[in-house]
Amino acid sequence: MYGWIWRHLPGNVWAKALLSLALVLAVIYILFQYVFPWAEPLLPFNDVTVDNQ
Amino acid sequence: MAATADDTEEHTDASDSNPAPPGRRPGRIATAVSVFGELLITAGLLLALFVVYSLWWTNVIADRKADKQAHQVRDHWAHSTDAGPGALDTKDGIGFLHVPSMRNGEVLVEKGTGTDVLNDGVAGYYTDPVKAALPMTGKTGNFTLAAHRDGHGAKFHNIDKVRMGDPIVFETRDDWYVYKVYSILPETSKYNVKVLSQVPKESGKKRPGHYITLTTCTPVYTSEYRYVVWGELVRVEKVDSKRTPPRELR
Repeated sequence: MYGWIWRHLPGNVWAKALLSLALVLAVIYILFQYVFPWAEPLLPFNDVTVDNQ
Repeated sequence: MAATADDTEEHTDASDSNPAPPGRRPGRIATAVSVFGELLITAGLLLALFVVYSLWWTNVIADRKADKQAHQVRDHWAHSTDAGPGALDTKDGIGFLHVPSMRNGEVLVEKGTGTDVLNDGVAGYYTDPVKAALPMTGKTGNFTLAAHRDGHGAKFHNIDKVRMGDPIVFETRDDWYVYKVYSILPETSKYNVKVLSQVPKESGKKRPGHYITLTTCTPVYTSEYRYVVWGELVRVEKVDSKRTPPRELR
């Protein structure tokens, strides 16, 4: 999987490394901005109130 | 003879510039195992990132928002000194909670205990299932509050450091409400809404009075149970022109 991505990135080693870094950052951004905020309320870690639900 | 031929062939392969000649490609099982391994690594990284997100990043975001909202409230107070008492802006927040033993500075208090409110790094007063009695009304009742234990500002993270007799001070535009902790419930069910009653019987009180209740989740990093701290109003101090804090905060 990761090997496949590496092989398909264009350019020499440095270009590949830079592109990989950009990809990693993009993935982290998407996770922090969209995926985790969506997933968090579905997980039982942060309910602080008492209620009768 | 055959062995020698094999050796020669391998030698040729190794020195070949093509790294993966068709004959030496990993088998199907090997590929499956390596993909599976990479998926496991990915899952591990994902979980680690989620921990970073919930314990660090949400705090960064929430503190930023809480600071902004706190500034708005302070500004608002500074520019509306001549409005009558009881003039309340419940939208921006009604005041600040100071609990010296939690060592977390001031916590803005806003209306509601939904995640949309609490995730901004503030404490919320209950509107549901039991409506909080706001201290500014002067009526007896229970001023019930909730805030996050971890992440999203983690405003009640150190609730376990609060001891009996510690002060809890609530600051509004015109008054300092000084409460004293008289009862602590380190673990209760999340369905135990009785702790929010106007007269919280579990804290040992039987008559109406001016109470404050802080709730958050426990143990840390989970939401298994609720931690409850009760305080009773000791006195109310008028805010002076310099906003000198009461002696409990000095």
